[in-house]
Amino acid sequence: MADVGPSIGILPQIRAVAGLRWRILRNSLRKESHRLHVLGVVLGGILSGIVVLGLCFAFFAGAYACLSEGRPGWIGLLFWGIFLFWQLFPIFAAGFGASFEFRTMLRFPVNLTAFYIIGLAYGLADFSAVASVCWLASMTLGVAAAKPGVLPAMLLVVALFLLLNVTLERLVGSWLERLLSRRRTRELFFALFILSMVSLNLINPIVNRYGALLRPLASRIIPYFSWFPPSLAGKAVAAAAQAHFGGILAGSLGLLLYAAVFSFFLWHRFAAQYRGEQLSETAAPAPAVARPVANAGDAPDRLSALSPQVAAVVRKEFRYLTRNSFAFFTLIMPPALVLIFSSQFTGKHPTVSEHPISPEMFFPGIMAYLVLILMAPAYNCFAFEGRGIQTYFMAPLRFRDVFLGKNLMLLLVLAVEIGLSLAMLAWRIGLPPLPVLVATLAAIVFAVTGQLTVANWSSLNFPRKLEFGQIRGQRQSGMAVLMAFIAQIVFGGISAVVLFSGRWTGNRWLPAEAFALLAAAAVGGYFSSLDALSRLAEQKKEALIEALCR
Amino acid sequence: MPETAIRTQKLSRRFGNLTAVDGIDLEVAAGQFFGFLGPNGAGKSTTIKMLTGLLAPTSGSMELLGLDFAAHPVEVKRQIGVVPEGMGLLERLTGSEYLQFVGRMYGLDRATTQRRANELLDFMQLADRPKTLIADYSHGMQKKLALAAAVIHGPRILFLDEPFEGVDALAAGALKALLGRMTERGTTIFLTSHVLEIVERLCSHVAIIHKGRLVAQGSLEELRAGISGEVGGKTTLEEIFLSIVGQDGTERPHLEELSWLM
Repeated sequence: MADVGPSIGILPQIRAVAGLRWRILRNSLRKESHRLHVLGVVLGGILSGIVVLGLCFAFFAGAYACLSEGRPGWIGLLFWGIFLFWQLFPIFAAGFGASFEFRTMLRFPVNLTAFYIIGLAYGLADFSAVASVCWLASMTLGVAAAKPGVLPAMLLVVALFLLLNVTLERLVGSWLERLLSRRRTRELFFALFILSMVSLNLINPIVNRYGALLRPLASRIIPYFSWFPPSLAGKAVAAAAQAHFGGILAGSLGLLLYAAVFSFFLWHRFAAQYRGEQLSETAAPAPAVARPVANAGDAPDRLSALSPQVAAVVRKEFRYLTRNSFAFFTLIMPPALVLIFSSQFTGKHPTVSEHPISPEMFFPGIMAYLVLILMAPAYNCFAFEGRGIQTYFMAPLRFRDVFLGKNLMLLLVLAVEIGLSLAMLAWRIGLPPLPVLVATLAAIVFAVTGQLTVANWSSLNFPRKLEFGQIRGQRQSGMAVLMAFIAQIVFGGISAVVLFSGRWTGNRWLPAEAFALLAAAAVGGYFSSLDALSRLAEQKKEALIEALCR
Repeated sequence: MPETAIRTQKLSRRFGNLTAVDGIDLEVAAGQFFGFLGPNGAGKSTTIKMLTGLLAPTSGSMELLGLDFAAHPVEVKRQIGVVPEGMGLLERLTGSEYLQFVGRMYGLDRATTQRRANELLDFMQLADRPKTLIADYSHGMQKKLALAAAVIHGPRILFLDEPFEGVDALAAGALKALLGRMTERGTTIFLTSHVLEIVERLCSHVAIIHKGRLVAQGSLEELRAGISGEVGGKTTLEEIFLSIVGQDGTERPHLEELSWLM
């Protein structure tokens, strides 16, 4: 009979998990192909360390000042800062950082208590927790230095505050995990996240316009914040500074109550996970659905002007775009940004500056900005193909058809976005004079077509797989980004010089004529590059497949 | 129809210092159900990738259906179907959309593509989830879809890399019947599998690759005769495989080292 291992205590298991986390970090740095990544991590670590250390001094000084200068109530603000950082930073990190799935621990003989403790310990190992603990320790030192008698109460409050925060952070993380376990929800979440970040630009105009109305509302809401944990912690420490025992007790009990409630909910979440809650959406049994008799083959083909292969790629690209909720939602961004910029810098908005930018300057600038944003994905255009890239190499086609299909779809998106932005500009500030309008449109054709040739070449040479609809752990191809940057500078520089030539020479139609010539050359160059790119694709197919099928 | 479906001469592929495939001479007759065997890392998938145009050989030549692959890649690809390692599916399409995409990539018209896609989805029992994305399919369902995509254009040679892995017994039975019918009608099937019983039951001819070299090739009867020295012997394919691949002793497990487990 096989030798079954002896029963193991909680502590060795926690030690083993801590060792695992360390090894995962160490091994991720050891990958030779990621030297620049290692450098980035090391530099990032040093910078983060400097920031955390600097803030340690700030928290120490803040706590010391609050108590020594007779304003102990203000210490609540410091607790608020730590609380917000501890709870919000992991939400951002959920979107942008790689993480370890600690539920894999369920494979091992771990009891629920150990699972719960390991879960909490994981929370304490996060960057936000480590930084917050450092800052709380600095505050404690500051309080001890200012009023040594407050130290016992401060230690009690900090311990409760720490327990409460780590529990709440794990609880929110666990709920978020549940929310984001479905692909669609995840994509929508990240799209809304990006949109809300963009919408921050609207705060200034809103405050300028409605600030007076918002102020009384804010003053009515603020008192309710005194019931939140950071305020309770601040009140308890302030009470200790004034030797008010009842205040210490009330604040500490409040914190304890919060910690107990969060622990109760977290225990239930972890218990559900421990029992084997499966959050993924893969292959759930579904009832049979009667499929209507398909007659799409009889319907007229809207893409009949294209070859079957190019039409197939265009359709596929369209479907991928509509299903990549994140990418799809970010298409709202350019027109939204045009609206924001036109509100802030031009002449028809109530919050306008004294010297609005004229449409003659604003229009080409905003169009260049649109091209800049919308062309960026083209430089790594196979990013979302994954293993499907093999289909292109197995099928009897020339790779030029794949590029044509992909580029056509991008041009369609560009046309829609530019059309929407044009309408937005016409509504907000009016269109520029005809020579500028024509020159700008010709410049777009020149810059876009010229960039497509470079972007196709870049996509073959510097492919990197990106996960569909995710930002989590995503990293663009560094060389593709560099290529995009260089190409944008070159095409943008040429366009700027040509555009200004009209002003310098006094011939208002000169830029339009020059751009028409450049656009014709760019279109010719694009079509003559396709066969060369087909040959290059054949040479690069192994690297392409290897990069995208990982 | 040419008599030889696949012929390679001194086909090699090196990755840096590693020679994954070392000068193999394969010959597969048209209409054969051909099993291509070898232990892990022997060079099976590398060979299939070269034969299907996913990987360029370092040296040597390949002829499929009498056409030099290097000179006529598009013509060759038009006549072959592939279930590659990892299946190569576009996971954000539905099964129906993917089959229509593949059909159009092979130049089929829309009506034919639609009809064949529906028939294949029915046959593979994938038709009851018309709106499910491939990313949400189970592994077995993805495998069935990859098979459907490989045959939608009616290929004359079908390359299958572990086609039955993860496929349930019911569907596997139907697939085997389909593949059998295809070979009867002249389609050549080139299959790799680690399940030797399946290969023994389906394939008439077998080749074994080991450490990049072709160490055996022929009909099952010829291989049996080569091992047991008698024609019509009852040696199983597993025994043939182990006797050929395990000859140098490197593949044999040393059970005595795991005494604590027994």
